[in-house]
Amino acid sequence: MKKIIFIFILTLSLYAKENSYELGKGFQIPSLPFYVGAYMSLDYKNMTNENIYRIDDLAVLGYGDYDKFSYMAEVEYKEFLSKTYKGDESYISRDMQLHIERVYIDYNYNENYMFRIGKYNSPIGFWNLLPVNVLKQTTSNPISTNIIYPKFTTGGGLSYSSFNEGELKIELLLQESVDLDDEYNNYKINQHYGISTLYEKDEYSLKFNSGYFHRIEDNISEDKLYYLLLSAKYETENYQLLSEIGYQQSSTQITTPYAGYIQWLYRFTEQHLGALRFEAYDDNMNKKKDEIGILSYTYRPSYPIAIKSEYQLHSISQENQILFSFSVLF
Amino acid sequence: MKALFLSMLILLCVSFGDEYVVISNQNMKELSTNQIKAIFLKKALLIDDVQAVPINLEAMDSIRLKFEQDILNMNFSRLKSYWTTQHYLGHRPPLTMKSQESVKSFVKKVDGAIGYINAQNIDESVKVIYRWRD
Repeated sequence: MKKIIFIFILTLSLYAKENSYELGKGFQIPSLPFYVGAYMSLDYKNMTNENIYRIDDLAVLGYGDYDKFSYMAEVEYKEFLSKTYKGDESYISRDMQLHIERVYIDYNYNENYMFRIGKYNSPIGFWNLLPVNVLKQTTSNPISTNIIYPKFTTGGGLSYSSFNEGELKIELLLQESVDLDDEYNNYKINQHYGISTLYEKDEYSLKFNSGYFHRIEDNISEDKLYYLLLSAKYETENYQLLSEIGYQQSSTQITTPYAGYIQWLYRFTEQHLGALRFEAYDDNMNKKKDEIGILSYTYRPSYPIAIKSEYQLHSISQENQILFSFSVLF
Repeated sequence: MKALFLSMLILLCVSFGDEYVVISNQNMKELSTNQIKAIFLKKALLIDDVQAVPINLEAMDSIRLKFEQDILNMNFSRLKSYWTTQHYLGHRPPLTMKSQESVKSFVKKVDGAIGYINAQNIDESVKVIYRWRD
C-alpha cells in the first residue's frame, strides 16, 4: 500500500511543478512520453444475512507511446480492506498483495494491423473492456462477464481495423503460458485462444466472440472450455441499450447453456443517470441458476467521479441486495 | 412577387451558410469521414505508415463544436466521458491549438497532422480533405 501511494505522490509532485492537473485525465511525467493515472473505489453491500463495507480498488496506471509503440502498465490492490457483519459477528479481511492487472506493449505495424504482447483485458464483449467501477454503469458486473470467458489474457494479440462505411475490427488473442498474475483472473489458465469481430456503424455496434481456454485449477471436472458471446449496443446522446449473451461448453458437456443480460441506460442529465438491467444465467459447473432484475442510479458531479446506488432483485431471494459505491478516476 | 423574392432570399441564406474544411498537408491521402472520425477519436493511429496527429481548436470554439457534432457525431458531454474512458485505455485526446492560423501552419509543416478550419481561411499551402456546411 505504501508503495502505491509513494509512486502516485512522487509522480503527482513532479507533475504539479510544471502543469495544472485535471481530474480523470492523469498527468504527464515532465519531458517524457509517459502518463500516470489512478483510480479507487469504496462500496457497501447489504444482503439479507450480511453487510459488507469495502475499500475495493486502489490502482495506479501508467502509459504512453513512442513512434509506432505504445505501452500500458497497471497495478492494483483488489479487495484491499473489507469488514463484514454477519448476525452478531463481524470480521475484517485484507488483501495486501499488489496485483498486476495489465502490462503490455503494442506495436502499430500500419494503419490496419496492430500487435500486442503482455497481459491485457481479453477483448471479449463490451463490458470486459471497461471493468473498473468508475467507468461502469452499475457497481455490480453482470454474472455473464464472470463465468463465460477469462477476463485477462497473457500472451500475444493481433488486431485488424478498417474504417470505411463503418468500423470493422477483428482481434485475435493467444495465450500459451501461465497468467502473469494468476491470482488476478477469474480462471486460472495456461491456454487461451480467441477471436473477436466488431462492426460499428452510426449508433449500432455488434460484436461476435468465440474462444477456447484451458483451466489449471486443482479438483475441477472440466478443464477444456469453449465459449461463444454475442454483444450488441445501440447508443444515442440520451440513452444506451447494451446486451450480451454467452454460451460455454467443455468437450463432454454444456457447462453454461446461457448467461446474458440486457441493460438500458438513460442519461437524465450529464450528472444523473439511471440504468435498468435484466440478467439470467444457468451455470452447470457451479450448479446455480438465477434471474436478476437490477435498478441503478448514478450521480456524477463530474464524469470521473461516480456515486452509485443499486437494488438487485434475484429469483434466489436470499441474494437480493442493495449496493452503494463511490469511485474516482484520477 | 414579394413572397417569392423573400423565399428565394431565405433559401440563398440557408444554402450559403458557413463552410468548414478538414485540412492536412499535401502528402496526405484522401480520407473518408469515418477515417477522419477514427483519427480524431484516436482509434486510427497511423495513416500510410505516418503517425496521425489530429489537432483540435480550443474546447468551446464554435468550429470545434460544429466539427464534433457533424463529423464525430458526439456532443461535448459525450466526448468528455469518451476521453475519460480512453485515459483508462491509454489514449490521450488530440492536441489543442488556439487559432485556425496555428492549426494551418502546424498542419503545413507536420506530416500526418490533420485539423479543421473555416473554409474562408484556406490557401494553397494546405490540402482540403473534407468539406462540410452548416
